[in-house]
Amino acid sequence: MMRRIIIGAMIAAIPFAAPAQVENYTIDPIHSFVNFSVDHLGFTTIYGRFDKSSGKATLDRGAKKASIEVSVDTASVSTGDNDKGARARSRDEHLRSADFFNTAEFPRMTFKSTAATFNGDNLAELDGQVTLLGVTKPLTLKLERWKCGAHPFNKKEMCGGVATGKVKRTDFGMKYAVPAIGDEISLMIGFEAYKD
Amino acid sequence: MQDWLIHPVVQGALLPFLAGLVASALLAPLRLAGLAAVAGFATAVYLVVGFEFSPMTTIRKVMLLGLIAPVLGVAADFAFKPKRAMAPLVAVASGALSVWVFLAVLTQKELADALLIGGGIAAYVAWQVGFTLSLHEDSVRAGAAGLALGMGTGVAAVFAASATLGLYAMALGSASGAFLLVQMLTGRRILAGIAFTLTTGLLAGLLGATTYHLAQLPWYVLAVMAPVPLLARLPIPAKWPVWGQAVALSGATLTVSAVACYLVWLSSRGISE
Amino acid sequence: MKQIVAGLAFMLLPSAGVASPESYTFDPRHTFVHFGVDHNDFSTIWGRFDRSSGKFTIDRQAKTGTLEVVVETASVSTGDGVRGDRPRSRDEHLRSPDFFNSAEFPRMLYKASTVKFNGEVPVELQGQLTLLGVSRPVTLAVDRWKCAPHAVTKRMICGGNATGALKRSEYGMKWGIPATGDDVKILVTFEAIKD
Repeated sequence: MMRRIIIGAMIAAIPFAAPAQVENYTIDPIHSFVNFSVDHLGFTTIYGRFDKSSGKATLDRGAKKASIEVSVDTASVSTGDNDKGARARSRDEHLRSADFFNTAEFPRMTFKSTAATFNGDNLAELDGQVTLLGVTKPLTLKLERWKCGAHPFNKKEMCGGVATGKVKRTDFGMKYAVPAIGDEISLMIGFEAYKD
Repeated sequence: MQDWLIHPVVQGALLPFLAGLVASALLAPLRLAGLAAVAGFATAVYLVVGFEFSPMTTIRKVMLLGLIAPVLGVAADFAFKPKRAMAPLVAVASGALSVWVFLAVLTQKELADALLIGGGIAAYVAWQVGFTLSLHEDSVRAGAAGLALGMGTGVAAVFAASATLGLYAMALGSASGAFLLVQMLTGRRILAGIAFTLTTGLLAGLLGATTYHLAQLPWYVLAVMAPVPLLARLPIPAKWPVWGQAVALSGATLTVSAVACYLVWLSSRGISE
Repeated sequence: MKQIVAGLAFMLLPSAGVASPESYTFDPRHTFVHFGVDHNDFSTIWGRFDRSSGKFTIDRQAKTGTLEVVVETASVSTGDGVRGDRPRSRDEHLRSPDFFNSAEFPRMLYKASTVKFNGEVPVELQGQLTLLGVSRPVTLAVDRWKCAPHAVTKRMICGGNATGALKRSEYGMKWGIPATGDDVKILVTFEAIKD
């Protein structure tokens, strides 16, 4: 008798168990940018960003799982010097050349997450793989800021934040001008994504 | 409450409309309903940036003139018997005043450009002031002109990259709409006067010129807005009820505004340049 | 003997006139003003001004310095400069009267006349920022500073990073607050070549 009651109670409780609710999100390209910084000759830091990227993410708050896939258009690199003037080329053009991003051959840089760590309800860390210049290496992104909620004006569900990480460009074969132009690249990614 | 007050539709349309409504309804018996126009405009200014006049930037000069115009208008309505020469004279003076407004930006240009642009702006402002002023004795025509001038300039400004200017102009249009609504509901005309027409003509002219000069409004859109006060003079059978006249005249003037807005929208998409 | 004493006295005089103020010109391709601002409390939007110019003087002995930087407001760049199907891009909106009003105020100026030193290294700049016609005090902390000959050109270079913060509403730039933040973080990365 007891067994039946227990089994009955368990069956009745099934709908109340946290069902795996996977939410799908699409990155808003106008409010999401990969920014990077690199040391220049030990004097100053040069900052840059990629103007065009796209991506999708999934979030399961109940199971505390998240995944993200981002594709960055390498030719959209922008460091504030894009007008060559009287010179042979501007810095941005040099970055697009085979010395750096080789954008003609590798138009895209991608990041695919493999694991997510939560701190309570908030996403804290994303482990994944970054593919640049055809080489894939691990990268861990730390979430410095994370918030999900309704957009104040259009009321759509969204998640946004800031993620940081570091890569060594020589790991990907981008060796030009190391160490005059630093090997270590700091990444600062501001993002906003709307629920599909 | 805070969230609601910062919403652009509240700042540029809803609250200015209410301000215009209250002003028209309460001040009509005092023959001051014409202040509805400045009530709407001032509401938007207060909500968006607040009243600050230092440093005196171009937009602040426009704000200042927008606040002075109704004061002069009330004085004119009560103290003078307007003569026929008044409208053209005030129009020319407004054109000259607009050069003062845009001096800071005009002096940055080459002389030839400055003369051309300054002249064009002065002509546009003079035109809008002159033809809107001449409607001061017909409150329904004046309201229809104010509605279209305000909404047209406002929506065009939003497409032309300046939401601030857009909200100011839409506030003018919303308050004019309220001014018309009060007359439509009561079936009776209320005095528009120079208080209303000088304010709407001058502000619409200056806000349009500012959007052209400081934001991305193409010059020909101003030319398309010019017929608005003319269309407000369309012959309408006097025996029509007030609401019928208001709807017909507004329909005509708003059609011109709609064309102007469509042109800005097209140009912002790079199709017609 | 008198000559020896005179010679010794001369050698012991402090080397006045040797360390005079040095003047440097910022290298526009390695000097940028960056800013970061909160967006809807969800994320941070970063941007920079692509075009600026300026000079500074420094006297390490007297521990004084001056700085003047002019930034072209129309060169604001936040990664969204192409409008596509929309009425305007974010960069166009920033140039409009809602924000920088660059048609009326094409330049933003920072002038510093007080420099705080830690030894021979400048650590703080106190000056005035003039933006949209309003001048207000802005202090920049120098987080990084190095002077050395350039590895390739051999010319003397001083470079570094400086940070600061301001409230844009104090300059009359009120559009969009609080959806687009009032607090703006400033980061200046610079390299300057000795004149």
